[in-house]
Amino acid sequence: MENKCENLSLYIIDELSEHEKAQFEQHLKICIHCQKEVQSLKETWEMLSYDFEEQDVPASLKDDVMNFIFQEQETTIQPPDETAKKDGLKLFFTKQFSPLSAGIAAVLLMGVIGLLWSNLQLRDNMAALENKVESTTTTEIVRTFNLSGQNTAASASGNAYLVQEGSSTVLVIELNNMPSTENEEVYQVWLLKNGKRQSAGTLKPDLNGNGLITYRLPKNHSFDDIGITLEPNPNNTQPQGQKVMGTT
Amino acid sequence: MKSKTDEELVALILQNHRPALEELYDRYVKLVYSFSLKMAKGDSEKTKEIVQQVFLRLWTTKQTYNPSQGKFVNWLLTITRNIAIDIIRKEQKEHVNIQLDPQEWHQMQDQKTEGVPEQVSNNLLKQQIREAKQNLSESQQRLIHLLYWEGYTLSEIAEMERTPLGTIKNRLHQSLKKLRNYMSEELGGVVRHGK
Repeated sequence: MENKCENLSLYIIDELSEHEKAQFEQHLKICIHCQKEVQSLKETWEMLSYDFEEQDVPASLKDDVMNFIFQEQETTIQPPDETAKKDGLKLFFTKQFSPLSAGIAAVLLMGVIGLLWSNLQLRDNMAALENKVESTTTTEIVRTFNLSGQNTAASASGNAYLVQEGSSTVLVIELNNMPSTENEEVYQVWLLKNGKRQSAGTLKPDLNGNGLITYRLPKNHSFDDIGITLEPNPNNTQPQGQKVMGTT
Repeated sequence: MKSKTDEELVALILQNHRPALEELYDRYVKLVYSFSLKMAKGDSEKTKEIVQQVFLRLWTTKQTYNPSQGKFVNWLLTITRNIAIDIIRKEQKEHVNIQLDPQEWHQMQDQKTEGVPEQVSNNLLKQQIREAKQNLSESQQRLIHLLYWEGYTLSEIAEMERTPLGTIKNRLHQSLKKLRNYMSEELGGVVRHGK
C-alpha cells in the first residue's frame, strides 16, 4: 500500500502508464490518505498554469486558426475539384510534416507497400498450395493413442495418431525418451487385433531418444491396441523380444 | 452565442456549429495564446502552431469537457499544455538532448521576469503562485519549471540533474505540498486543503 501512495504525485502530473494509472485509481478507492491529498494537490498543479503574462493576440491569428481548421476539413472531406485537391493535399502535407518527418514517412510508406506486396505474394502462394492440397486430399486425425513405456523402456512415452488422408489411413507414431538400441536391435511396432499381431514397421531412436514412424494401413484394416517390442534383429513376423511399450 | 455557457458552446461544437467554436475562440484565445507563448519561449510561429492545434482538437476530436472534472479553463489549459509539449519536445528531440547547467537556469529565470507589461485578469492568482514558488528551494523551483513549463518527464529531469529518480519523485511531492500549503494559507478558500 505504502508503495502505491508514492505514485500520487505521478498520478497528478499524469506521468503514469495506463496500467499504473488504473492500478492507482484502484488504490485511491481504498486509501484515505491519498483521497485526502489528491484533490488539493491536483488543484495546486493546475494553478501553476496561471504563472504567465497575458499577451496581446495578433489580430490575424483568428483567420489563421479558422482557415487552418476549416481548410483541413475541406481538403480531407470534400475536395471541390482535382487541382484544388492537389493543392489542398500539398498544403496539408507541408503543414503536417517537416522535411525530415516527411522523409521518414516516405520510407515507412515504401516499407509498408513492400510488405504489403510480399504479403500478397505470400498469400497467393499459400492459396495455391492450399488449393493443391485440397484438390488431392484433406488430412484429419481420426484417433489418438497414448503410449507408455515398461520394462527396459519404462521412461519412454509417446503418442500415436491415426490419420485419414483421403481414402487411405496412416498411423503416425511419435516416441520420446527411448533407450538407445545396440547393434542389430530395433524397436518393432505391432498392431493388435483379437490377440493377433501384425507388424507395422521397425525404428531406431535418435541420439536423444526420439523416434518417429509412419505406417500406411492396408484397406479396411483395423486394430485395437499398439504394442512395441525390442527385437534383437529387424524383419521379424512375430515378436521375439520383450514388450517395452503399449497403449494405455 | 455571447450568452451561452462554455458547456453549451462545447455541446454546439459537437454538432459542427462553427459560430460556437468562434465564440470559444474569442473567449479564450488570449489565455491560450499567452500560455502557449510562454511554453514556446516567445517563438510566435510555434505559438501559432500550438493555438491552431488546440482549436483544431476542440473542433475535430470532440473531446468532451465534463464539468465535474473542474473548471473549463483548467481543462483547456491542460489540453494546451499537452499539445505544446508534443510540439516543442518533438522538435527538441531532433536536436541534441539538452543539458541544463545552473548558469543557464539563472538566465532562464531572468528572461522570465523581464519586464513584460502586466495586464492580467488572474493577477492575484498569478501573484500568489509566484510568491508560493519563492518558498521552494532552488532545486524544487527548477524541478517545477522543467516539469511544468519545459515538459520534461521526471526520468529526463533525473538524468539532467544526475539525481536518482526516487529523489526527484520525492522532491516533486514535497514541492507540490509546499506550494499547496502556502497557497491555502494565503488564499484561504481558493485551494481546499486536504485535511
